[in-house]
Amino acid sequence: MPLLQMQGICKSFNGISVLDNVSLQVKTGEVHALLGENGAGKSTLMNILTGSLRRDKGSIVFNGEHIEDNSIKQTEEKGIAFVHQELNLFNDLKVFENIFINKELTGFLGHLRKRDMISQCKELFLKLNVNIDPNVYVSSLKTSEKQLLEISKALFFKAKLLILDEPTTSLNQDEVAHLFEIVNALKKDGISFIFISHKMPEIFEYADSYTIFRNGQYIDSGAIKDTSPLEVTSKMVGKEQNNLNIYKKRDLGEVVLELDHLSGMGFNEVSFKARRGEIIGMTGLQGCGSSEVMQCIFGINPKISGDIRVKGKSIFIDSIHKAMRNGIALLPANRKENSVIPDLSILENMYIAEHTLSASKFHIQKDLELKRYQKQKNALSIKAQDPKMSILSLSGGNQQKVFIARWLNTNADILLFDNPNQGIDVGAKAEIYKLILDLAKSGKTILVNTLEIPELQKVADLCLVFFKGKVVKVLEHDEIDEHKIMMYSTNSMS
Amino acid sequence: MNNNKSILSFLSRIWHGYSFVIVFFVICIVYALSSRGLTWNATMNILRHSAIIGIIALGMGMVCITAEIDLSVGSMLALVSGMSVMVFNVTDSITLTFLFAILFGSFCGLINGVLVGIIKMPSFIVTLATMLIFRSFAQWICQNVDKQLIGGGSSVYRMISKNEMYDTMYHFGNTKLCTLPIVGIVLVVFTILCVYLLDDTKYGKKVYATGSSIKGAFMSGINTSLIKTSVFVITGALVGLASFLWISMNASSDPATTGVSYEMYAIAAVVLGGISMAGGKGKCLGILFGALSYTVIDKIIIALKMDSLINDAVKGIILIIVILIQVAGPQIRERIHLMKLRSNK
Repeated sequence: MPLLQMQGICKSFNGISVLDNVSLQVKTGEVHALLGENGAGKSTLMNILTGSLRRDKGSIVFNGEHIEDNSIKQTEEKGIAFVHQELNLFNDLKVFENIFINKELTGFLGHLRKRDMISQCKELFLKLNVNIDPNVYVSSLKTSEKQLLEISKALFFKAKLLILDEPTTSLNQDEVAHLFEIVNALKKDGISFIFISHKMPEIFEYADSYTIFRNGQYIDSGAIKDTSPLEVTSKMVGKEQNNLNIYKKRDLGEVVLELDHLSGMGFNEVSFKARRGEIIGMTGLQGCGSSEVMQCIFGINPKISGDIRVKGKSIFIDSIHKAMRNGIALLPANRKENSVIPDLSILENMYIAEHTLSASKFHIQKDLELKRYQKQKNALSIKAQDPKMSILSLSGGNQQKVFIARWLNTNADILLFDNPNQGIDVGAKAEIYKLILDLAKSGKTILVNTLEIPELQKVADLCLVFFKGKVVKVLEHDEIDEHKIMMYSTNSMS
Repeated sequence: MNNNKSILSFLSRIWHGYSFVIVFFVICIVYALSSRGLTWNATMNILRHSAIIGIIALGMGMVCITAEIDLSVGSMLALVSGMSVMVFNVTDSITLTFLFAILFGSFCGLINGVLVGIIKMPSFIVTLATMLIFRSFAQWICQNVDKQLIGGGSSVYRMISKNEMYDTMYHFGNTKLCTLPIVGIVLVVFTILCVYLLDDTKYGKKVYATGSSIKGAFMSGINTSLIKTSVFVITGALVGLASFLWISMNASSDPATTGVSYEMYAIAAVVLGGISMAGGKGKCLGILFGALSYTVIDKIIIALKMDSLINDAVKGIILIIVILIQVAGPQIRERIHLMKLRSNK
């Protein structure tokens, strides 16, 4: 008897079917990987399970009990907990207050029994081997600690099934290992996990079984030990994934961007030269300063000392607008927050950056924009029906392409890509990297900041490894290697 | 059956994009029934009486699209119109009075704009404070200035009727051009200008982008502080224009009563016009209809010979009903959709 049995689940929005007769079975005490590209229907299914969406059809049996339409609170009480990707914690409350939120221990006249709550909290953390002080504010915790806090919170209220939605996106390797140490210990106590992730190595290291969805349909399920990453990926994508080496050596032109002992907030004494047509990878652990370098070049944060030279000329960049006028563009990390303008259409989103450069021409030439939109759409193979539709109607990968087009429209020569593949599915990831190579071929200078080293291996001519705000190693294309980079970025190479 | 469905979906689309037109027509029909027929003159009077609120609401709409609010417009109207009366009394020039009203209004807007946009104080608090400041100044100056300047009265700014240009000025505010009231024409012209500004210019797109996602707009290179400041300045300029119309219509301005609660009426017109207070959404054209709807409600109450004190209650209730339909409509539709799906299976 499995812990969770979801069968024949259907769900459609506005007549468009997003889940078509899918099933999911999770056994007691296992880590079950739920796999699929973005838009495959994973989140929808999880939202149906937790009660935040209502299903059109299908049955759910949890712990031997039929589950009808439930509120989120009722499912929580039954023992299903959802640890969201964007963590649902109250930053301005203390750790123990977060754990007991809405379930506070109270005494006479609703008086809070803080001491009891804190001591129970400590007990829980001790049991789970989590090292957090219950008395600090959540805003002072690291992302990994917040993740553990969410899990602890769920366990405190006797969750039997935890849904972990991409729990590792913002964790470094040590933190991931620690997270799964705890997960493995809990497995032994009979607690099950649904694990949603796009990172194959993790899935194959930590999961026990898997279910694959594609386009809202059930494709396959089984034990992880009976399959391989290649097989899983091809089932997710629906075709044999193109795993060929797409990198080709290119002829590089003159130096376009030069940093000369540049220091700013979060980084120190960074120097390198980037040539026309060159792709430079930047990597390191979270908070290593590589992202801050990009923000400084783009004029978001001021520099403290050093020099930025564009085409040989030293320039002082004190605003985004100044950077843009010098042909610099930044595709920021965290697309949802920094790139998406939700109320504007696809077309408007694509041109909003160009508008700030050509503000002296007041009137918008809509015909011209539409014509150029078609060209960009074909060049970047953006899958969109109508340019007047909301940007939110596109999938993550297509949104990202629109934002790349946004910056191409400014005619920038220097493109900074900060974590361009965050929250993008496997198929679109490959397309974006191919696009980056094509752009370099057409003469753009490109900087890519990412934590995913296999991706860098595909595109980068040169790779800068950051540690604590400094470039500790420069690797040529042939030297880029996951193991080596890990050693340098943790500074364990002596 | 199928035909029915497509009509329904067509109607729902219309409701979604142009609910303000429907609201306006419904209110107009009620008015026509209540006052035994809608004459041309009566309709034009609606336009005339909507002019002040409408022009102020255009500015308010832009401020709301950037997800801010301006509570000071009513008091600003009192201060700017009062000062403009004094300028008219001294200079006896319509041009100078007009220029002064626009510039002084822009200056008042700039104060709000700098505090909200550049210093990044919350607009609710800033404009609440300037609301108190502007009205207080208007009343204090009126009491303490040479009586000659305010037209000889004691607590009201009055245009001096012996001035040469007095008749021209008063005529401008109260005459009609081919049966169309001039102030109404001004309202329509400025609505068209605002629609153009927001729909077809790069500036307009930046205003929407700033209200929709300030972070996303900033990362796209938009100077969001400047955009926010600029909408407050535009609002100030429009209040200046409204002040000029006010004194040309009334020949006077009472600092204690001019523009009282106008910020609330303007916000109501903006909301009736389908602009979201959360920013980023809505059309400028809606504001015109929102303001007109508001005036018509006034007329209905007069036509029905109801107590004028009940006026605001009726307006408030209508506002709640309209928003209720806008907010609850989609939720009800989804519930019905789900019930249909379930019953089919």
